[in-house]
Amino acid sequence: MHELGIANSLIEIVLENANANGAKVVRSVTAKIGRLAAVDSEALKFAYDAIKEEYPMIAESVLVIDNVPVTGKCNKCGATDTYDEMFFACSKCGSYEVELITGEELTVSEIEVD
Amino acid sequence: MKTVNIQEKILTKNEMKAAELREKLKGVAVLNFVSSPGSGKTSLLEKVLVMLKDKYKIAVVEGDQQTTHDADRIKATGVEAFQVNTGNACHLEAIDVERALGSLGYDLDLLIIENVGNLVCPAEYDLGEDAKVVLLSVTEGDDKPAKYPVMTRAGSAYIINKIDLLPYVDFSVDKCIEYAKGIQPELEFFTTSCRTGEGLDKVADYIEKMTKAKKG
Repeated sequence: MHELGIANSLIEIVLENANANGAKVVRSVTAKIGRLAAVDSEALKFAYDAIKEEYPMIAESVLVIDNVPVTGKCNKCGATDTYDEMFFACSKCGSYEVELITGEELTVSEIEVD
Repeated sequence: MKTVNIQEKILTKNEMKAAELREKLKGVAVLNFVSSPGSGKTSLLEKVLVMLKDKYKIAVVEGDQQTTHDADRIKATGVEAFQVNTGNACHLEAIDVERALGSLGYDLDLLIIENVGNLVCPAEYDLGEDAKVVLLSVTEGDDKPAKYPVMTRAGSAYIINKIDLLPYVDFSVDKCIEYAKGIQPELEFFTTSCRTGEGLDKVADYIEKMTKAKKG
């Protein structure tokens, strides 16, 4: 439900960086979205495509989503895990003292411009 | 064609506003209450804030799509409240809190934000709070922490409310806590009933502890 607001913020960042780099047109935008970021990729793409029409510089651009899995490291035994389930217990020793390494990203990583 | 490396967080604007609020609210404990609609956030606040209102300067920001019902209920207890109607938005943003503070003022000991009833979007929006307090009522199912892991992960405290209804529902408090701990091991847990008053003093203690810590 909040993807529209996120698409707006994302576009703001894209335009700012495109202008700062003297770009005429943006071809693609890559955003990193962690599984824990509470953002639906399809809804974000839909929102992006709906808004981009208003800005000639990005009207033809494609939003590429880089989905980031949840990974973490156990503070007890040091084992690293990728969590398919949203339950962060160490698969080696069962401890809950797990530090997340990735999965919380919500970032514009790069844009391709001409 | 050239590639421009950016690596910028998308919510920057809201996060900057939240950081600004945090700076202005340095000595104020700020708690962001989140839950599904109808878990009992307002009822709990009505009861708990009364226990604290004579000792501390408290204000409440109420977020709802429409109506001033919740702010009216809080004001009726003698605590200052400001209603934000979000219209079509499903969460409060830092700018809403700033607007509310424009009316409530910053000279406070404790600011309570009652977010829009929603366990998804509010997880993503920093309001300048010190802690997110998640509420869940026992009629909602004991696996709710696992169903909404992002919010569970973002929480500092977890309140299991309406425990007077436990005899009538298939809800295991232990199972619920286990699910939540697997997602956020640092959560503090409370079990409460606004009907019988059970556990509310513990929530008040938790809030008081945070208020004192921030006051310094």
